[in-house]
Amino acid sequence: MSIKQLIQPFVAVKGGLIPALHAVQEEFGYLNKQNIKTLAKSFNISDAEVIDVITYYDDFKLEKQGQYIIKVCQAEACQSLGCRDLWDTLRSHFQLEQDETSKDYSVTLKEVFCLGNCALSPSVMINKDVIGRANSEKIIAYLSASQSNSKND
Amino acid sequence: MTDLIKIYIPKETSACSVGADSIAEKINLLTQEHQHISIVRNGSWGAFWLEPFVEIEINGKRTGSSYLNKDISHLSSIEEFIDDFNKSKPFNILETEFIKQQTRLVFSRIGLQNPLDVDEYCNSGGYKGLEKSFEIGQQKTIDEIKKSGLNGRGGAAFPTGIKMQTVFDQEAKTKYVACNADEGDGGTFSDRLIMECDPFSLIEGMTIAAYSVGASHGYIYLRSEYPLAKYFLTEAIQILKSNNLLGENILGKNFTFDIELRIGAGSYVCGEETAMMESIEGKRGLVRSKPPLPAIKGLFNKPTLINNVITLASISAILLQGNEVFSQFGSGKSLGTMPYQLCGNIKQGGLIEVPFGITLNEMIYDFGAGTLSDKPVHAVQIGGPLGIYLPAHLFNTPLTVESLIDINGALGHGGVIVFDDSTNMALQAKFAMDFCQKESCGKCTPCRIGSVRGVELIDKIYNGTAVKADRILLEELCETMETTSLCAMGGMTPNPVRSIMKYFPNEMTN
Repeated sequence: MSIKQLIQPFVAVKGGLIPALHAVQEEFGYLNKQNIKTLAKSFNISDAEVIDVITYYDDFKLEKQGQYIIKVCQAEACQSLGCRDLWDTLRSHFQLEQDETSKDYSVTLKEVFCLGNCALSPSVMINKDVIGRANSEKIIAYLSASQSNSKND
Repeated sequence: MTDLIKIYIPKETSACSVGADSIAEKINLLTQEHQHISIVRNGSWGAFWLEPFVEIEINGKRTGSSYLNKDISHLSSIEEFIDDFNKSKPFNILETEFIKQQTRLVFSRIGLQNPLDVDEYCNSGGYKGLEKSFEIGQQKTIDEIKKSGLNGRGGAAFPTGIKMQTVFDQEAKTKYVACNADEGDGGTFSDRLIMECDPFSLIEGMTIAAYSVGASHGYIYLRSEYPLAKYFLTEAIQILKSNNLLGENILGKNFTFDIELRIGAGSYVCGEETAMMESIEGKRGLVRSKPPLPAIKGLFNKPTLINNVITLASISAILLQGNEVFSQFGSGKSLGTMPYQLCGNIKQGGLIEVPFGITLNEMIYDFGAGTLSDKPVHAVQIGGPLGIYLPAHLFNTPLTVESLIDINGALGHGGVIVFDDSTNMALQAKFAMDFCQKESCGKCTPCRIGSVRGVELIDKIYNGTAVKADRILLEELCETMETTSLCAMGGMTPNPVRSIMKYFPNEMTN
């Protein structure tokens, strides 16, 4: 689907820019310059206005992200069960800092605040899957299992 | 003849976070050739330490067992699975103390059934509330809510009936209902549970609210961190549309109501109602100054009824059961039941819907069975990142709207987070400021810059490099943020900080 076709349904919708940004990012993984120009043109606003909205929200990315986006909850319930240590362990395991993507684009590491799984803390989200009672072994095992699954497919 | 067997495996974020999906997959494989066995993906009962909680129903008798950390991949037949299940001493969850001690008025259906089975929903009282609302009319529906004493469950506890009346009284051709499903407070998940385990009750409540205030279009603003809730809401909206329970001429009446699901993009402050409206309008989530109130000039400058998920789900429960069923519980401003969310370092965490007024002691020990780490409870944070930390000697405080205000806190959305004695309280105080620094929308100075200064000052105090003036400065900073911020984000961030300075003064320094 072309980007114009992708955006079209949202142009007529009141306040449709954010749903359109979600759709474009879902399709292309991030929001590149060309897509921003097309969005601006479709919504009849300036590039700057589109970037203005993009840069406010944590979810919208101007750069290519990893195949696995690992979101480590750093909110209070997870703090009560050691998520700060988990964060440090994962950072050193992947050799990545907050919001950084590995050179091979396999992993992006991010801190988030609350995944709503607070009775089974600590929680980590990998793409759309939440992992409860998380520890670094579980996260690493999840990644290798899902990598070998995708190779078999 | 073989008995019909139903196997319930929850499809809900917490259950799935500890393996419910792979259990369902395995059982699905084992039951391929068994016509008499059906699998139901129900919601969760909210007793999360039991998840994945698998139940089997034979001859109307339903019992369950926890499959946490239980490997079933080696089982080769369903008979073997059932055998194994029976050996695990399955029990009826309705007979457990955790559930028996609760009064589930709003969460009456969670766990019980397939959340997307509209027939089951209607057979358990669903859409009776809307029918009643149609029967008694708009004003009387609003009166019902007023009489019930329902206050907003999102955090601010504003009387819902008065808000509805205000929107109803506006003369405008276009009005909106907006459901705030941006449940961003750390330690809360009740909105998510309703959306994943009983989404129809939320949508029915929205429909009743829309009918009574005269709105024909609604928005649900859902945070992006809840993909499973997105799935359930999307499906639920479609199912209701095809059953004439949403869309044009609902239930044959001359009333049209549509719902648009909007997904947030990772901003905490978009849970603040004016920032949420900006975001729905497609802009940066900057807080608006009030007045005008959203009820008068809200979304796209039209009168807008904004309510939290639980508030709206409560509306369908109240219309179905009658206002007195709700208002018989609690007292003062805290009427009805409250879905508390017990979590953090706790053995038995989960959803606890009980009448207002339960104490922390009852919650932590009667429901929660103490800390997961088996260490003493050191502190409890109530009401999310803007909530106060309480020490053990105050665990007799009843959890009501008023009693929390009395001690400079807020019940908020009802999150209760337990910390054991290994907790570094100075770090918790610093986190409050740090969170504000990261999530502030940046519109007002006290929140945007105050939080940065707050982090610096707490660091100094913790490192022992602070002088007396720094402590005074932190006090003054808190006061400035509290009194001059545009919204609760900056205005209430000092609450956790001050509570730690007050109740854990010796723990501010390393």
